[in-house]
Amino acid sequence: MTQGWKIVLVVGLLGLLALFYQGLWGNPRLIPTVLIGTAAPNFTSPQVGSSEPLSLDQFRGKVVLLNFWASWCLECRLEHSNLLALNERFSQDQNFVMVGINYQDKEEDAQQYLRTYGSTFPHVRDVKGAVSFDYGVYGVPETFVIDQQGIIRCKTIGPIIGEVYANYTQKILPALLAGSGDAVRC
Amino acid sequence: MLTRLLVALAVLGALSSPAVATTVDETDIDIKTREVAKTLRCTVCQTETVWESGSPFARQVRENIRERVEQGQSAEEIRAYFLSRYGDYILMQPPARGVNWLVWIGPFAVLIVGGFLLYRTLTRWVTSTPAAPQTVEPLDEASRRRIERELLS
Repeated sequence: MTQGWKIVLVVGLLGLLALFYQGLWGNPRLIPTVLIGTAAPNFTSPQVGSSEPLSLDQFRGKVVLLNFWASWCLECRLEHSNLLALNERFSQDQNFVMVGINYQDKEEDAQQYLRTYGSTFPHVRDVKGAVSFDYGVYGVPETFVIDQQGIIRCKTIGPIIGEVYANYTQKILPALLAGSGDAVRC
Repeated sequence: MLTRLLVALAVLGALSSPAVATTVDETDIDIKTREVAKTLRCTVCQTETVWESGSPFARQVRENIRERVEQGQSAEEIRAYFLSRYGDYILMQPPARGVNWLVWIGPFAVLIVGGFLLYRTLTRWVTSTPAAPQTVEPLDEASRRRIERELLS
């Protein structure tokens, strides 16, 4: 067997092992979502601390930032002040709205969390996990940005802090609010 | 003694029968839910199905599957829904397309190539061993006498 064939064989074997490793033990949160560029699924859910339902459809025509969170999620606490800052900065634009989706949580814990850390935008309860399944959510925090045509343009896994936050404030949201969402890169 | 043993066994049998009855008493909904849940991966536990896992995520997926079964959705429709939300990763058995083909044919390819290489290596070992002489050289007279002497001594 020539040296070249030996190299091909070893590389092939290592590639196969890597494929199996990724499939069996890889981090699913690093797998890109299949939902970018698809229509955002509608939902109608009760709001946290209120029986009044809220529907995504009522925000059609606006840029919507959906944030999945839970009171037991430590990373959610890390990003919470940035979410409030985002809302304060962009909610002056009538075409922007933020909605929190409370994930696998007790309502009283969610209410306590919002009282402790503050709340300036509506939050709904994902009672049976149906909303998170529709959005292919693996865990929290996860954030989706929906453009004015109701298309999912961006998904962020993990907290919106540091460079991710800067990307949201300087690129993603200004571009979508200006109607140039095709150039958005999360 | 034997009578007592038989009575004890009869009592045990009577006590255990309801438990057996509840174990096998599955509705069609239960069976369909289990069939689908066994084919979906618990994405937060990675190598378990949503049927086996005790995580909150898996529990909610099982409830969601049950609701869909009750609504009359087929197993394929339910799998297609989760596939459309989570991609191939949600399926325990990756669909045979694209790069997934490597996962399906890779082990067989390794077996065939490995078997071929093993065969070739063994064949080379066998052929490189010097062959045994076909004919035995006749013993010269001097050597024959020497052997006879040594055998007699």
